[in-house]
Amino acid sequence: MAEHKYEPTKWHGMKGPVIGGRDTYQAKSWNPTKKKWGTFTEKGPAPVWFAEANATNWTESMICKTKDLFYEAKLNQCFEKGDEVAIKIHYGEWNRTAILRPEYIAAIVEEVRACGGNPYVVNDTTLSYHTYNSMAISQYQMEGAIRHGYTDATFGCPVLIADGYSGEDDYRVDIPEGLILKETYIGRAIAEADAMIVLAHSRGHSITMYGGVLKQLGIGCQSKRGKYITHLAHWGDPHDAIGWPKFTDKCPGKACKFHKMCDDSCPRQAHHVAEHGKVWYPERCRLCYSCQVTCLFSGMTGIGFEENYFPNAMIAHADAALGALKCFDRGKVGFINCAIDIVPECDCFPWAGLAIAPDVGIFASKDLIALEEATLDAIDNAPVSPGSVAAEKGCKPGDDRFRIVNGFSPRITMAAGEKIGLGTRKYKLNNYEPPLTPENIAKWQVRKGGVVNHRPTTVRLRDVFQKHDLATEVMPFGRTAYEKEWAFNEWKKYDPFKGAKP
Amino acid sequence: MSEVIWVDTTSTSFDNTVQHKLRRLIDASGAAAELSEGMRVALKINTAEEGYDYGLRPEFIRVVADAVTTATRTRPVVCDGLKLIDYWKKAWGNNFMKLASSQGLTTETLGGHFVINGGFSGDEGDSFACNLPDSELGGVEVGTAVCRSDALWVLSHVTLHPLVGLNGALLNGGFDCLIGRARTRLLKSIDPYIFNGQKPPEADLQIFQRRALESHLGVKAAVENKIFFINYLWDVTPQPEFYPFSANPLVANQGFLASRDPVAIDSATLDIIQSEGHFQVQAVTGVDFTAMLKEAGKIGAGETAYTLKRLS
Repeated sequence: MAEHKYEPTKWHGMKGPVIGGRDTYQAKSWNPTKKKWGTFTEKGPAPVWFAEANATNWTESMICKTKDLFYEAKLNQCFEKGDEVAIKIHYGEWNRTAILRPEYIAAIVEEVRACGGNPYVVNDTTLSYHTYNSMAISQYQMEGAIRHGYTDATFGCPVLIADGYSGEDDYRVDIPEGLILKETYIGRAIAEADAMIVLAHSRGHSITMYGGVLKQLGIGCQSKRGKYITHLAHWGDPHDAIGWPKFTDKCPGKACKFHKMCDDSCPRQAHHVAEHGKVWYPERCRLCYSCQVTCLFSGMTGIGFEENYFPNAMIAHADAALGALKCFDRGKVGFINCAIDIVPECDCFPWAGLAIAPDVGIFASKDLIALEEATLDAIDNAPVSPGSVAAEKGCKPGDDRFRIVNGFSPRITMAAGEKIGLGTRKYKLNNYEPPLTPENIAKWQVRKGGVVNHRPTTVRLRDVFQKHDLATEVMPFGRTAYEKEWAFNEWKKYDPFKGAKP
Repeated sequence: MSEVIWVDTTSTSFDNTVQHKLRRLIDASGAAAELSEGMRVALKINTAEEGYDYGLRPEFIRVVADAVTTATRTRPVVCDGLKLIDYWKKAWGNNFMKLASSQGLTTETLGGHFVINGGFSGDEGDSFACNLPDSELGGVEVGTAVCRSDALWVLSHVTLHPLVGLNGALLNGGFDCLIGRARTRLLKSIDPYIFNGQKPPEADLQIFQRRALESHLGVKAAVENKIFFINYLWDVTPQPEFYPFSANPLVANQGFLASRDPVAIDSATLDIIQSEGHFQVQAVTGVDFTAMLKEAGKIGAGETAYTLKRLS
C-alpha cells in the first residue's frame, strides 16, 4: 500500500459539510493497482471449460457441474488459504425474474470455503437507471437481494454492497491502457479483496448488447463514480450527444401520458416537461440513463441515445473492466459464465423477456475474453427459442444473436478487451462430462459441514429406524378391499395410448 | 433542566415484559411522534467484538426499530462503525458483518437494514463542523449511514469505558459515529485497548475526552439536531463492547433511559448505576466521568441537571 499525503482540512474556514471534490478525493485515495497484475493468457488459445445444461443423473446436476468446473478450470488456485475472496454477482432488480438462482452462488461459496478461502458476496450500487430503480440505493438493493434469495443464510457468508452505504466507498484506478477511459473507480469491497471469483449470468444487455463476466467487471465492479465515467458522462459536448441523452423533437410534451414519470426520472432535475417537448439543463446532467430508459421503455421516442453511443460505451466498459482487474495480482480472478435463462436484457431491468435461446450451460476459465467468446459462440449456435424477440427478428442459429436482438455485435467489446490486455479471443473448449461413478455421485451429494453428516442419507436413516420405525409401527397398511378395477384397467381410459409404452 | 425518562425492571408481567417496557418508554418520550412518513432514521448501536459476551440482545434493538418503522412506514438503518484495531482480522467489512451475524445482529433479526456506518472500508463519510469557537478539532467526518439520515436515534449499551469512564449517549452519539480514519485521528497516540495495563498519560486522556465531546457536536450538526437517545442499563460490564472479553456485570439490570439530551441521560445513567451498584465508576476505571459531563455542559452539548420521570 503506497504512502499517501494530504493537506490537513481547513476546518475553521468551513461553512458547511464538505462533499469531497475531485482534488480532495484523489489526495485521500490511492491507486491500488497490483504490481503483479497482468493478462492471464500469455500465448496460444486459452482453455475454457464447458458443461452443457440438462441433467439425467446426480452427477449432471447443473450445481454439481458448476462445482466440477470450478476445479477443472483451476479456479481454486486463484486464492490461498486465508485469503479474503470476493464473489462478484449481480443482485438483480426488484421484480426481475431472470436472475441467477441462489444455489449457483452458494455452490461456489461452499467450494471457496472448502479450499480455505474466506468468501463474501458483493455487488455495487448502480446509478438511477429509471424512475423506479431499486439498485441505486444500498438499502433498496439489499431488500431486492433478500427477495431474490441472496442472503447470508442462503449463501453461508456475508452479502455486502461493495461501494458502501451510498456508493462512494471506492478507489480510483488509473488505466492508461484504456482506449477511451483513462481512470475509473472500483468499490472497496472488491478492490481490497485478495482474490475474486466472478459468477455471471450470461444474457443480453440494452447498452452493451451482451452481459457476462466482462460486464460484471466493467460495470458491476464500478462504484457510482465508476459507472458515471463508464457511461461516458459528459463525453464530447451536448451537441454531439455521445455522452449525453439525446433530446429529440418527437417528445409530445404534456400530451405524453408518461410526462410526470419522465420528469420524476431525473435525480438531478436536469429536465422538465414543456407544453411541447422537454426543457433540458445539460449542466445538471450526469448521464445515468434514467430519462432515456424511462422514455424508451414506455414506448416513446423523445429521449434517446446518439447512434455511436453504444459502440463507444462497449469499448469504455472494457476499459473499466481492466480497472477492476488491475486491483488483483495476475491469476487471482476466476470467471464463470452461467448461460441459463438467456433473456434479451440485463438483470438490472425490473422485468425479463422470453429467453432467446434454451439454456446452454456453464463455462469457466481464468481468461475472461476467451470465456466470453466461447459463451457467445455457444449461444449463437444454440436453437432460437420460439416466441422470443430473437425469433421475431428472424434470427437463425449461427447468427450473431445479440447483434440481431440488441443492435451491435458484442465482439466489439471483446476485440477492445483483447487489445488492452484483458485476455485473448482464441480459446480451446474443453467439454466436461462428469463420470457416472459411485464416488462422483457421492462427491457433491454429501454435504460436508452441512446439516447432515458425511454418510449417505439411507445409512443415516438406519439409525433412525432402529430407534423408531414409523412404518412398521402401523403395518400392515389397511388395503383389504381396494378398487382392483381402477388399479389394473380403469386408469387406461384416461391415457390416449391405453397404457401402452410410448 | 432536561427531562430523562427511566423505565425500570420492576413489576414485570405478561403484559409488562421488558420489551413492553421499552416500547412504553419510547411512547412516553414522544420521540416517535416527531418522525413522519418517509423519514430515513438511523439507529446507532454498539456491536460487540468477538469474545465480548454481554452484547445487547437483538430484540431490544428490534423493539425500537419496529417503533420507528411504524412512525415512518420505512425500515430504519441499524448501524455501527468498524472496529479500529484488527485483533482477529474482524475489522474488514465482510468479517465485521459475519461476526455481527454470529451474534444475532442481522437485517432479519433487527427489523432494520443492518449496515456498516462508513461502508466496507469504514471511511465513507462527510465532514461537518463542530460549530464551537474554541474547537480543537474544528470538524469531524461522520459516517454515511448516520449523516445521510434525516434523524438519528442513539441506542447505547451502557458499560464502563477505559478512556472516558462510561459508554453512553455522549460517546456512542459522537465519537462512535465517525468514520474509522477520523476516530484514529481523534485518538492520536492513545491505545483504546488498555487491558494490557498501559494507561495513557492523563493529559492525553483529557485531550481525547474533549475531542470526543466536540465530535458529538459534529454529529448533531450532521443530522440537524434531530437526535434522540436511549441508554440500555443492561449487563453493565466493566469493559465496553469493543473489548474482546469482559468481566461480570457490575450492577443488576436497571432498565432503560430515554432523553433528547445526551448529557442529562448520561448523568442520570451514572447516578443510577452508582447508587444501585454501590460502586464508583471512577474507582473502577480511574477516569472521572463527571468532569467530562461538566465539560459537555460547558460546550453546549446538554445539561448535567435533569428531572427523572420513572416508569415501571
